[in-house]
Amino acid sequence: MGDQGSGSYSPDSWDLCSTPPAAPESPTDEPLTFEGPGLGPKRYSSNPTIITPDIYRPKPQRMADPIDSALDLLRRLNPKDVKRNVDHIIQLNPALEEDLLESVDIPLTVKRCSKTKRDFLCCDYNRDGDSWRSPWSNEFEPAIEEGVTPSDRVRKMEVKANEAFDVYRELYFEGGISSVYLWDMDDGFAGCVLLKKAVNPSPKSSGSWDSIHVFDAQDRARTSHYKLTSTVILSLGTDSEALGGLDLSGNMVRQVEADMAVEDDTSHVANIGKMVEDMELKMRNLLQEVYFGKAKDVVGDLRSIPPLSQTNRDRATQREMINSMGR
Amino acid sequence: MSRTAALSSFIDSAPPGELADVTKAIKSILGTESVQNELSPAFQKYNEEQFTTTKLPGGSTEVLVSEYNSLGDGRYYDAETQSSFAFDHAMGKASAVQSHVLESQQEDLLKSLAKSLSTHASEHYPKSSHGVYPTADDTALAILTVANKYSPTNYWNGRWRSSYVYTPSSGTITGSIKVDVHYYEDGNVRLLTEKKVALSVGSGSGAEVMRKISTEEKKYQEDLNRAFGSLSEGAFKSLRRQLPITRQKIEWEKISGYRLGQDIGGGRR
Repeated sequence: MGDQGSGSYSPDSWDLCSTPPAAPESPTDEPLTFEGPGLGPKRYSSNPTIITPDIYRPKPQRMADPIDSALDLLRRLNPKDVKRNVDHIIQLNPALEEDLLESVDIPLTVKRCSKTKRDFLCCDYNRDGDSWRSPWSNEFEPAIEEGVTPSDRVRKMEVKANEAFDVYRELYFEGGISSVYLWDMDDGFAGCVLLKKAVNPSPKSSGSWDSIHVFDAQDRARTSHYKLTSTVILSLGTDSEALGGLDLSGNMVRQVEADMAVEDDTSHVANIGKMVEDMELKMRNLLQEVYFGKAKDVVGDLRSIPPLSQTNRDRATQREMINSMGR
Repeated sequence: MSRTAALSSFIDSAPPGELADVTKAIKSILGTESVQNELSPAFQKYNEEQFTTTKLPGGSTEVLVSEYNSLGDGRYYDAETQSSFAFDHAMGKASAVQSHVLESQQEDLLKSLAKSLSTHASEHYPKSSHGVYPTADDTALAILTVANKYSPTNYWNGRWRSSYVYTPSSGTITGSIKVDVHYYEDGNVRLLTEKKVALSVGSGSGAEVMRKISTEEKKYQEDLNRAFGSLSEGAFKSLRRQLPITRQKIEWEKISGYRLGQDIGGGRR
């Protein structure tokens, strides 16, 4: 992982880190380096030594920290109820509120930008109190005084990134909504790319896809070091007389890092675009494997359609054949 | 929502084989070990609905607990071994085994059903627990099967439950088949299904009842397998393409030159 040489970009050499969805512990004793409630980099601190992929790995068994236990619980309970379960945990232990809201990805909500009449996506990253900043107008909905907005340089990139990911959205999702939010960091900037689409291909089936890509870019000489953590929340369901109810829902999280060449701020948008595009392709394949391969295999492990006596006989016959050929 | 209701909803939603993990997490979140009393109704509900299995002391096979073989006061019985036992819902452990002779007007039918169910189960479930129990008013028989497979080291667990009530006087079988699969490596993916079953049988022999059930289960599993395919080809594909319609990845350096609806083949305006 990590250093792939200055300026080189080779997506095939990326390792997909093994990362449980638990976000890192919030460094509570670490002063936050950004201003404004809800506008900070959640997963990445400005201090690179604090956050490493190892933090995403399961911790060894010890007296469990309540936040670790809360994240463990959310990894087990029905992912479809994650919003409700987060609310319940906060009720049970209010001290966990901030950490949970920062580390748990819930399906994105949609707001309408009153200035541009365009829909945009809401998450903790464009929130200030009870208002959300529109990527199209840079204004908060509902309006607030002195809501935190990016610096001019970063806002320029944000506009470009929103244009670029609008094209990306149309090419890959053929519909849906996209929003990109960036914010300033001491040694670069950070941001998130959000994509959401819902479908009802037939009255009896439905599906929704939410991508939440959170990244930071650390400026170095002629290159930038990018860290990307991606979550896809995918929910599918059918309900029919013949099959009954079926719900297949969940989320998967992956992380990559890469160093890429940077000439000017346009390079950043292209670099992030490539990373997100490659990550989503990998995650789409992974989701396909887990949702339609693994889940089906487990059902087949629980119950066998052909009688087991026949299966066992077939296996014995096969073994005999192999043995006799070996003689 | 009350604290107990919130905690109970967590227990309710515990994936197959992960009740102990869920309980442990709850204790840590609350910062207390003493939740047993508060949660015992939720544990009981979970165990009876999920057909939780347990080994009887000294026994080798796993027996299940359900509302149908409950004797009240935390005791359950197993028709096969003609014994009853106390069940600790929080720990999942059986104790205080006593002999229990079942009295039912349907005794012959029950025995023949139990035999056919056992044959059916061994033919289609690599590992399962099952039982036939008279309903509370002794006018019908409950036919239960549960198959679990836990693989926590590979981050997945699964459960299949079949539950039917056969009423001889009306020749009807009603019930449901439920599948619950949890996959949680670098994520949390859950498959939950429920298929309601309503069948009628002509002759009422145990073998005939099980033949009907067996046909229905086979059909359901085939339908379910097809559903994976149609979700993959349908909803999943229409959410996000694998590649753009041009079959090429985006040229990000030229992204500002892309115009929606023009350069994108077949795109809309």
